[in-house]
Amino acid sequence: MTAALIEARALGKSFGPTPVLRDVNLSVEAGRGAAVVGANGAGKSTLIRLLAGLSAPSPGAAMLFGEPARSLEPALRRRVGLLSHQSFLYPNLTARENLEFYATLYGVEGVRAAAIEWLERVALGAAADARVRGFSRGMEQRLALARAMLARPDVLMLDEPFAALDADGAALAAALVREAMDRGCAVLASAHSAAALEELGFAVLTLSRGKLLRAEPSAMRQSAARASLARQVS
Amino acid sequence: MNSFTAVLRKDLLLEVRGGQSTVALGALSLLVLVVLVFAFNPGGGEQGAEAAAGALWVALVFSGMLGATRAVSAESENGCIRALLISPLDRAALYAAKLAAAFIFMAVAEAASIVLMVLFFNLEFDARVMRLVPAVLLGALGFAALATLLAGISSRLRGGDLVLPLLAVPMFVPALIAGVKASAAALGGAPMGEFAVWLKVLVAFDVMFVAAGYLLFEYVAGEE
Repeated sequence: MTAALIEARALGKSFGPTPVLRDVNLSVEAGRGAAVVGANGAGKSTLIRLLAGLSAPSPGAAMLFGEPARSLEPALRRRVGLLSHQSFLYPNLTARENLEFYATLYGVEGVRAAAIEWLERVALGAAADARVRGFSRGMEQRLALARAMLARPDVLMLDEPFAALDADGAALAAALVREAMDRGCAVLASAHSAAALEELGFAVLTLSRGKLLRAEPSAMRQSAARASLARQVS
Repeated sequence: MNSFTAVLRKDLLLEVRGGQSTVALGALSLLVLVVLVFAFNPGGGEQGAEAAAGALWVALVFSGMLGATRAVSAESENGCIRALLISPLDRAALYAAKLAAAFIFMAVAEAASIVLMVLFFNLEFDARVMRLVPAVLLGALGFAALATLLAGISSRLRGGDLVLPLLAVPMFVPALIAGVKASAAALGGAPMGEFAVWLKVLVAFDVMFVAAGYLLFEYVAGEE
């Protein structure tokens, strides 16, 4: 049996008296992907933050590599990549300087070469020496994706990876995610719509009001989404 | 390049590119000294030395507050502090880099403040002014250590900008008193023994807060 690299055990989170996540159980093994879909406020970003170790569970356990995500050793933290809804980029640094900075923190060999390679891979080679402050939202998202992936992590967590990307950008992002999975990376992604992630072979899980529902066949999920939309419109 | 150097280099680069806090620190120091020179109307002698020392340290506290807030708030934009906290970067190294950046900003501002103080308070650029340097550097280090630690806490709070001075200024009072006394002794030409006593207080304050920051920053930064 393959050990799970990402695991949530009876994971919960409350902000004051309000529970945002309740009893979430999931696991993602090496080379596999899981997509958590749900409406705004369903708890997708909270789940990713818990599993990335940015927030403390209450109650339950968020585990990476079999260790609590909040107390990973630096050697294990080096193997985790996170794409958040915030870009984690410094606006007054250039694209290349941002990647070089993170490459240094993550101990990437050949910092400058790695930065240039990843800028080319996300089609930002021409903007390497431009400050991030002047980037469009889509360019920033592609650079943030490069930042999350440049250390070639074994665990990748992506909060809305295709947000703000045009069709070409989304295809490029999908190719990078697929490549990461092919080399054995475990990927957990959140999205409003599962279509793009489902095509990548992700197991789709639905999060509703903080509860993880069983994986639903695509047709059922689309039907539920349509019904939900109809209720909102009426 | 190691992680400490990378964070420090990045902070200095951002400051050179943005330049807000250096300009603000310089302007604030100038303003404080101008106001106090008119308020005290120093005539020279021992009273003038004490007034100059007091003015210099008021400038140090205000500029230090700005410098420390700037060093931590630079990480708030786009959530960068979170990226640092989940990176392999040791949090003690993060504190050390932030402390070094705040200290460098303060040291630059204090160098300008000393020049302005000498001009406004009719002092001479002589050996007495040079004796100020260790006191001011120790004061800047102590304040940077304290304020960086507290900025780590206040950055997570709503209204954190208000909380920082409320916490930092009272805690800095022992070093402030020692700094003013050491500076007055230096400018007034007091014996070395009198000057050294106050320097020792500053050294003790620095050791305490640098150690506290180094050990505690891991727990105060980024807890959610």
